[in-house]
Amino acid sequence: MKRIDAIYHVRGEAEYVDDLPLPAEMLYAEVFASPVAHGKILSLEIKDALALEGIVAVFTADDIPESNQWGTIIADCPLLVKDEVQYIGQPIAIVVGQTRAIAQKATKLIRLEVEELPIIVNPRKAFSQGQIIGTPRIFVLGDVDSAWEECDLIVEGNCEIGGQEHLYLETQRSRVIPLEGNNLRVYSATQNPTLTQKTIAQMLGLSCHAVEVDVKRLGGGFGGKEEQATHWASLAALAAWHTGKPVELVLSRSDDLKMTGKRHPYSSDFKIGVTNEGKILAYEVKHYQNAGAYADLSTAVLERTLFHSTNAYFIPNTRIFAVSCRTNLPPSTAMRGFGGPQAMFVIESAIAKVAETLDISREEIQRKNLLRLGDSFSYGQKIKTNSMRRTWLEAEQTYNLTAISERINHYNASHFETKKGYAVMPICFGISFTASFLNQASALVHVYTDGSVSITTGGVEMGQGLSTKIAAIASKAFGIGLQRIKIESTNTTRIANMSASAASVTTDLNGNATVLAIAQILDRLKALAAKELGVKDTENIAIAKEKVIYAGKETDLTWEHLAKAGNLARINLSAHTFYATPGLEFDRDREKGHPFAYHVCGTAIVEVTLDCLRGIYQIDAVKIVHDLGRSVNELVDRGQVEGGLAQGLGWMTIEDLQFNEKGELLANNLANYKVPDIYFMPDLIDIKFLENDDNSPAPYGSKAVGEPPFMYGIGVFFAIREAMKAFQPQIEFAFTSPLTPERVLCELYADQLRQMNSHGDRIRLK
Amino acid sequence: MTEEEQKLSPKQRSRRNFLGQSLFTAGAAIAAPSLLNSCQNKTVSASNALVEGETMIGLKINGQLKTLNIEPRVTLLDALRENLGLTGSKKGCDHGQCGACTVLIDGQRAYSCLTLAIMQEGNEITTIEGLATEDNLHPVQTAFLENDGFQCGYCTPGQICASVALLEEVNNGSVSYVTRDLTNPPELASLSESEIKERMSGNLCRCSAYNGIVAAVQQAAGQTPPSPAASIEHSQVG
Repeated sequence: MKRIDAIYHVRGEAEYVDDLPLPAEMLYAEVFASPVAHGKILSLEIKDALALEGIVAVFTADDIPESNQWGTIIADCPLLVKDEVQYIGQPIAIVVGQTRAIAQKATKLIRLEVEELPIIVNPRKAFSQGQIIGTPRIFVLGDVDSAWEECDLIVEGNCEIGGQEHLYLETQRSRVIPLEGNNLRVYSATQNPTLTQKTIAQMLGLSCHAVEVDVKRLGGGFGGKEEQATHWASLAALAAWHTGKPVELVLSRSDDLKMTGKRHPYSSDFKIGVTNEGKILAYEVKHYQNAGAYADLSTAVLERTLFHSTNAYFIPNTRIFAVSCRTNLPPSTAMRGFGGPQAMFVIESAIAKVAETLDISREEIQRKNLLRLGDSFSYGQKIKTNSMRRTWLEAEQTYNLTAISERINHYNASHFETKKGYAVMPICFGISFTASFLNQASALVHVYTDGSVSITTGGVEMGQGLSTKIAAIASKAFGIGLQRIKIESTNTTRIANMSASAASVTTDLNGNATVLAIAQILDRLKALAAKELGVKDTENIAIAKEKVIYAGKETDLTWEHLAKAGNLARINLSAHTFYATPGLEFDRDREKGHPFAYHVCGTAIVEVTLDCLRGIYQIDAVKIVHDLGRSVNELVDRGQVEGGLAQGLGWMTIEDLQFNEKGELLANNLANYKVPDIYFMPDLIDIKFLENDDNSPAPYGSKAVGEPPFMYGIGVFFAIREAMKAFQPQIEFAFTSPLTPERVLCELYADQLRQMNSHGDRIRLK
Repeated sequence: MTEEEQKLSPKQRSRRNFLGQSLFTAGAAIAAPSLLNSCQNKTVSASNALVEGETMIGLKINGQLKTLNIEPRVTLLDALRENLGLTGSKKGCDHGQCGACTVLIDGQRAYSCLTLAIMQEGNEITTIEGLATEDNLHPVQTAFLENDGFQCGYCTPGQICASVALLEEVNNGSVSYVTRDLTNPPELASLSESEIKERMSGNLCRCSAYNGIVAAVQQAAGQTPPSPAASIEHSQVG
């Protein structure tokens, strides 16, 4: 089945926020933001901006009638900052004009006087100065202190992990329409309509029901519009509420890069103890998360780091410390993987260091320690599937890992200036929002008298294929054709109190709610069908291919007839249902519980070729065995695996998110922030889905797919490292990401660079 | 204060007060009729009076001649989206770095954010909206649809326009950076994957639906793509 909205996309008809026809008298808002990373605002002069012809208003913190504070977990972030700016790009004022160009021009006429204050960009420095968000957290399993004595080898090290820009091609945007009674309708590119609704209501002192948020689709989200879309929608709403006119706010690409938060950079220390055979006995890790200036979702991201710190391995004695550190960067936020990737990078680094010290292969250690059915995680939950080992073994056999290893060794023995490397990357990712209460969803299903169906859920379509999957689920559940089903926009008046579309669970939750709604309607229609057929056993009635089936035999009753007859018989042809994932709980005092409905597992083999003279590399192949359960739509799932993988590969290699010592983002456009392009993609991506029934509470035995494949990308770091080792076996390379070609070169020739430096040349390893 | 106003909450009153003030302080701007005109009627017809700084131009878009009043500095992309209501072309960066705004000008692809509308008078402009007829998709559109050449869809109009131009370029014997023998340009039937990637490298897709995009171009070129989409069609539910 093709994507349900494919036809709109290829015709250019698909509607995004600012594609809707322009309402009369619409105004345009532009953001005036802080030019410094930390400072006290001494004065703000908006007179010149206001005087510009075509400017309608300039709004500052003083114009916010009720709450200027927002944030899902900790409401610590001002919508418009008044006293002390905390990062470059922090909104101070919005300028509202009759055209975008005039509003842009006016932002340059605002005069700001700031007394600059000292800044922190490094999370360890923030921690040492007590600048933390929330409290540090520690997960413990076994007794790590006494386990060190039993280890034959203990190695320690540290990782420096870079952030990542979401780079959704559709930048942040919102259009707000004032309605009667001071109400507002908000069209926003948000993954979290309810948060947007609540924040706007609180800002303006309105009831939630006065703010309607509608989302048709996003031009990419990747987590960047889970929390942070709210800021821009709120500012547009402020302007619309004050002026009584429709207001649109679209961030330019450079503003979006500057003003929005990204994936968290981490700085981590590890200590790992193993036996001579490579059995991991003890693992201790400390994660210093660079949270940026405000809480955002950082503490939740940190929690997932804690959950995934041992990735796909059972380690009997672990102690995991993690802390969110406040710095003067834009608030770091959700991004695909949500703290999991950083945790997995560190354990994989630790294993690499052990392997290099023992001079055995990484995969020998990985294989020995893989999770088995029933093994415990540090958070107390036991894994209820054996698919970690199954995917590993299947990958090893299907793709013939021994042959890959031999081929690469042979290549390296016979080549000097180019080397190849490979790495196996197992992943085990917990599925559910780690804040258990968020695991709820609703669906609203209408059947019209012509048999057509309208479905609204609390999920947002952002390219992940939610609409397609919901339609497939509904088609199967009703037993009717796809052409009868329409998936509506996500709207807070049709679905209330929805959780964000995030954590890979959007289809799981909203799909289950949809199945429940359809079951309700079908129960009513089956009773009607029984009556018309003159039978009593409704349990023997089913609908398939738009026909009523009784006791396995097709009858003359059609779906269309049922819909029409249902209306005449005064049967409710609509249902609004609610689903909550059962069995989830987590006790944050004990740091134990059952936070995940299930785990998704998989194994990837990544192969690269490195040009050791230039530092550039090619990703030759990525071969994956992925546990998908029973796919609802394999086309969509394959896209998610490939897309997630590509983003993970990009994060580890070319996506270099550099800030200077002033807290200024140096990558301020697509020329100096490189994302995977069509050339970057591996020459070969082989994906095998492991079909199985175990362990999934999702619709029809399907499994979450949005985030887990991202972490296959981590394998590329270690594959490149293997190739580097083949060229320079004596160097101990750093565990610093991203491993850009520049960094590869600097690490391969570190000695020469040092010599050049001592001769006064100005080449430095960053 | 009127009785009606007294019924309002303080916040609602403050909004009314603000509006009064803002109309007063920014009165000059609000009252300027020319500006209001340009703001209210984004799709202006030739009969509308020119606002100072604007020029009337005629553009041939998707086979139709459109006249519009714009400032000379307006890009083709902004003219399409904001003056002509052709919102299929997308703005991903406005710097010629992402390709989402790709359109065809006299059959050749161009980033519409990097060219001024006024420069394109007299040229044939084709946007994503002009590729299909009422009943039939362009073969490239069909190929993107059938090979899952997108996820969020935001880059898709640009990818499709670029692909349409690519096919034409190959038909016209153009070579690329990866063409081995410059005297022997590739043909559509044997256009290699690396040729396709090179020729599509001006269009970013953050969802990384690149494999689907390559397969779509292969299909549109008359090749049989190794499309994952085709082989799994049977296993769908519903």
